[in-house]
Amino acid sequence: MALNRGSSPTSSIFKSSKRSSSTPPTSAASYLSALSQADASLRARRSTTSPSPTAASTPALSFSSLLTSTTEVGEEDNSDGLAVYTTVHTEFGHCYNENYRHVSKHTPGAPVIQDIDQDPPYYILFSTYISYLILIVLGHMRDFLGKRFYPDSYKHIMPRDGYAALNSDFDSFYTRRLKQRMDECFMQPVTGVAGRTIQILDRVTPDYNHTQILLGTRTRALNISSYNYLGFAQAHGGCADAVEEGMKRYGVSTAGARLEGGSTDLHITAEALVAKFVGMEAAVISSMGFATNSTYIPALVSKGCLIISDELNHTSIRFGVRNSGAHVRMFKHNDMKNLEALLREVISQGQPKTHRPWKKILVIVEGMYSMEGTMVDLPGVLKLKEKYKFYLFVDEAHSIGATGPHGRGVADYFGIDPRKIDVLMGTFTKSFGASGGYIAGSKSLIERLRIRGYSGAYAESISPAVLTQIMASMASIMSVATDGPVGPSSSSLSSSTSTLQLPQDFHTLIHPGPISQSSLPTWLTHTLPPSLSSGAEGAHRLQRLSFNSHYLHLGLQKLGFITLGHASSPIVPLLVFNPAKMIMFHRMMKDRKTPIVVVVVAYPATPLISSRVRFCVSASHTKEDVDEVLRACDEVGDVLDLKHGVMANGERRWTVEEVCERAVELVRGYAEAEGGLKKTD
Amino acid sequence: MENASFPLETVETVVLFVAQSLSAVERTFYKLPGSGIIERYVRSSHQNDPGRTFAELIILILVIINLLQSRTRPDRNKKSFLELTEKDIDELVEEWAPEPLSQPLNETEAAELAAVPIVLGPTGPHPTLLNTGKTAINLASLNFTGLAGNDHIKQRALETMRKHGVGSCGPTGFYGTFDVHLNCERDIADFLGTEGAILYSQGFSTISSVIPAFCKRGDIIVADRAVTLAIQKGMEISRSTIRWYDHNDLHSLEEVLQSVEKDRRKRKGPLTRRFIITEGIFERDGSMTDLPKLIELKHKYKYRLILDESFSFGAVGRTGRGLTELYNVPASKIDMLVGSCSIGLCAGGGFCAGSHTVVEHQRINGPAYVFSASMPPLLAVSASEGINVLRNTPSLLVKLHDNIRAARIILDQVDCVSIPSHRASPIIHLYIRATPPSDLLHPSSAAVSAKPSNPSSPVPRDAPVFDIQKEERLLQEVVEEAMAQGVMITKAKRVRGLELTEARPSIRLAMTSALSKADTEKAVNVLAKILRKKLK
Ligand SMILES: Cc1ncc(COP(=O)(O)O)c(C=O)c1O
Repeated sequence: MALNRGSSPTSSIFKSSKRSSSTPPTSAASYLSALSQADASLRARRSTTSPSPTAASTPALSFSSLLTSTTEVGEEDNSDGLAVYTTVHTEFGHCYNENYRHVSKHTPGAPVIQDIDQDPPYYILFSTYISYLILIVLGHMRDFLGKRFYPDSYKHIMPRDGYAALNSDFDSFYTRRLKQRMDECFMQPVTGVAGRTIQILDRVTPDYNHTQILLGTRTRALNISSYNYLGFAQAHGGCADAVEEGMKRYGVSTAGARLEGGSTDLHITAEALVAKFVGMEAAVISSMGFATNSTYIPALVSKGCLIISDELNHTSIRFGVRNSGAHVRMFKHNDMKNLEALLREVISQGQPKTHRPWKKILVIVEGMYSMEGTMVDLPGVLKLKEKYKFYLFVDEAHSIGATGPHGRGVADYFGIDPRKIDVLMGTFTKSFGASGGYIAGSKSLIERLRIRGYSGAYAESISPAVLTQIMASMASIMSVATDGPVGPSSSSLSSSTSTLQLPQDFHTLIHPGPISQSSLPTWLTHTLPPSLSSGAEGAHRLQRLSFNSHYLHLGLQKLGFITLGHASSPIVPLLVFNPAKMIMFHRMMKDRKTPIVVVVVAYPATPLISSRVRFCVSASHTKEDVDEVLRACDEVGDVLDLKHGVMANGERRWTVEEVCERAVELVRGYAEAEGGLKKTD
Repeated sequence: MENASFPLETVETVVLFVAQSLSAVERTFYKLPGSGIIERYVRSSHQNDPGRTFAELIILILVIINLLQSRTRPDRNKKSFLELTEKDIDELVEEWAPEPLSQPLNETEAAELAAVPIVLGPTGPHPTLLNTGKTAINLASLNFTGLAGNDHIKQRALETMRKHGVGSCGPTGFYGTFDVHLNCERDIADFLGTEGAILYSQGFSTISSVIPAFCKRGDIIVADRAVTLAIQKGMEISRSTIRWYDHNDLHSLEEVLQSVEKDRRKRKGPLTRRFIITEGIFERDGSMTDLPKLIELKHKYKYRLILDESFSFGAVGRTGRGLTELYNVPASKIDMLVGSCSIGLCAGGGFCAGSHTVVEHQRINGPAYVFSASMPPLLAVSASEGINVLRNTPSLLVKLHDNIRAARIILDQVDCVSIPSHRASPIIHLYIRATPPSDLLHPSSAAVSAKPSNPSSPVPRDAPVFDIQKEERLLQEVVEEAMAQGVMITKAKRVRGLELTEARPSIRLAMTSALSKADTEKAVNVLAKILRKKLK
């Protein structure tokens, strides 16, 4: 069967690795480095022509820092002989064309448009089911026979010496029979920075993926897979310099939990900054995004309460929900009608058996869904919230920083006051190139969470190095006011006895607006270069991300692919259906002249039939990078027969050249069309 | 498929059987009323294309399965469902008044939160406190071997940041596995002598995720009654059957193991996975497990052992390898050895070490591993460097244990507290000694009761009684007084009301080799004086 051809990865991987180890891959090299030069000359040409419409509304960028970095050679180690790549362009692509910018914003009153579910043709459905059927039937047959004839290879799933198997054969069926065949797509070790490009460590498998052997060579690939939405994954530049300073001052670890001596003044300042960023009264930071959900949700609700959770919510939310002891019900993904019906049912029925009224009801949704790219219908949820009086928890792991004209998440995108939401949660792993997570809300809620969340008493506090990255990147999006009162932030803190207080000026500041210098430690204000503290670079990143997201999403649709989600979402899933095509897609993208690494996801992470490729667009990608991805998809899509999208109102498909040429038109046109779609009811 | 060859006879019998049952089904089908309509529909959709029918059939089956499994469907079929009119519902919705999302802090809680020590600048043996504005001697931070201030580690972390940036920006499965993570995992495995190790990005979440990765519904867990919150939460997620044994009492453990076995024999149940879960040095009171005995029992009754070494890794043993080094037991005897890089190595994250099978299993099944971004590379390198330091400077541990001993000598003379912690434990818990000095509340000296505790309840038979609020308040006074006098200490913080059983209030001292013996003695003497004064 098709899947079994997966046994040939050895040969293809050998090819690509030989290429990168013996002679520098001229093609990829010239592409990835030539772009910076092309951009520089383009910028020179453009600077004389009239500014583009979007650029006019934003402060002009100071390019000096970006330009010098083109010639500056980074300090990455060059032992791999790929010295040509070591400009910062590999981390964050230079893109000077002001047309390739976009501001993502929702038009009030317009419906929230997501891609409609499109069914593939019958034969695709059929062959997908057949693949799984063959996989399941043969897999079970092999298990049945294998356990009898080759007990040695099945020992790990059979009881032995009085111990039950660690992994029952049924539980591990998909792991052994499907995932193992696709192992070349997962757990790919990498090195360098997870920026615009990434270096993968070449590997081969001599035994059908039972073992993977690292060859010691590396291949640099275009990275459209990391959650690096705003491109802050950088080892060079203003943020990295700030982190260096922060590490010199604070060290690596604070050696303890927040309530047991692991808090520093940096934590307090950072929490106030995060609160301000998201527009809430207060915030608490935890050292892991997953744990933010799993250790704080139980502090919000308990027995006698009800959690209503979107069916596609992240595992960390489920983890926390289960630990809370609250009753849980699920509603159809992003379906407001279903949510309302459920709310009516649960409120009127009360608690099971006793019919006593619920103590509280907490609705948990995500701002942006990581597998679907859908955006929550926040206006819809808030309308229900008014009527049904539930509390709302929004997990903004993927939307904070990445959506909204000011990067403040879904509330910003919809132009809604964030304080209408009770609990805002988010992570720093994605847009801010750091790690950890936060919960923001009212002051009294956050204080309660500080002592009731498990993290405060038990989990290590977040590392100062990571905190500095968070503060520097956030400040560069918020911009630092130059005329504010200048003074060491620590002095204002040490004067107050209640050390967990917010800075004085907090409530006077408008959201989203610039922050005063006193919101940052003095040393950080001094370390941040003007391009960052002016907010110019932050705005630049937001607009590039928005452009790239729309462009890739709409481009793929014009090429005839079936995509999912919201056009302004940086997560762009592309449906491939057949499980075997996923491996092929992954391999064909990786083996291209300019290698591209992609993420593929299959059952059980997705519904059985909608296996998909998931692109994560970044502000660090140039338009040419997106062109390259589109070209690659176009070619691979033809070979693998993936173009099954039905164009709206009988339009024709575009060729890839046409898409690349008309990119700006595509993005602008979409925004206008969306804005024009006022609700008619 | 490679080995899918089977005898021809079998195929023949199978085909024959299928054919017979099919015709039987057909006969019954035509007897049913309305079968004609279905037949016509099938014929028209069939259109001489067997593939089509087949596809439709499969879709039909999947639709049915999907409907049966739908998680979002309202459960109207429950017995207690009330039939209500839309108007009733509207009224009920109107009437429903939820409780507030959170209660504001009361005065005591607010005061305690405000008194949480905040360090100005870097932490270390003599940090400056924001609360007092002065430097203090640090007996609160978990910095056992002084790695938190190590300049070499800081330098290496900086270099890593300049090479890899800060965040890894991806879960481990999707381009979040950096070479430094692999190196760190290998370093841990080498250091402990196991086949492999796996890194999680937070210490607390490690064990909460390791447990549900292995223990499923129907499996049996036998656990110590005083395990830390992280373990409790992991067991809760696993939905396994839990049996409890008395805290650090291996006789009780053996009894429970026997009773579980008896139960299974009686019910003739199938062989399920069985686990013993306990800690090396207990977070709750600093007592230590008798590892050799534990391993003997585990082998005898064929259980797998999940051992949480968060507070012993990097703290006991000649080079800080933990309990296995202290007792000279090969780490490979422990099936899942969980430790913390944030506590023992002052970096971040946690790990689980064990055989290849154990490690690889978690790479697919550990929720906090699969669904979370990998640890920042600079922290992974800090952990690796921490191990290097431990390997090369055993004197750090000698110093740590000198300090522990010095502190214990002073504290042992303070009558008003009792110390449940083991003599080698780097964390020292102080309980308020109950008024009759021969107190029955001390776990190890608990009265020998005739009947053992009920294994299905986390509460022991003679549960110690203590007044949580009063003791917390007294200890908090001690902590604040000590901070005012330049000694940074902390109570062991708990999430009261959310743990399975309430831990006895205690002050938790953390010893460190970064302090000189003189400083340690000085600080502990200050504390002893305060204790005597406040706890009279
Ligand atoms: C919705 C959601 N919440 C939480 C997390 C966990 O965040 P982290 O990777 O920082 O642990 C993720 C990450 O994938 C996520 O998608």
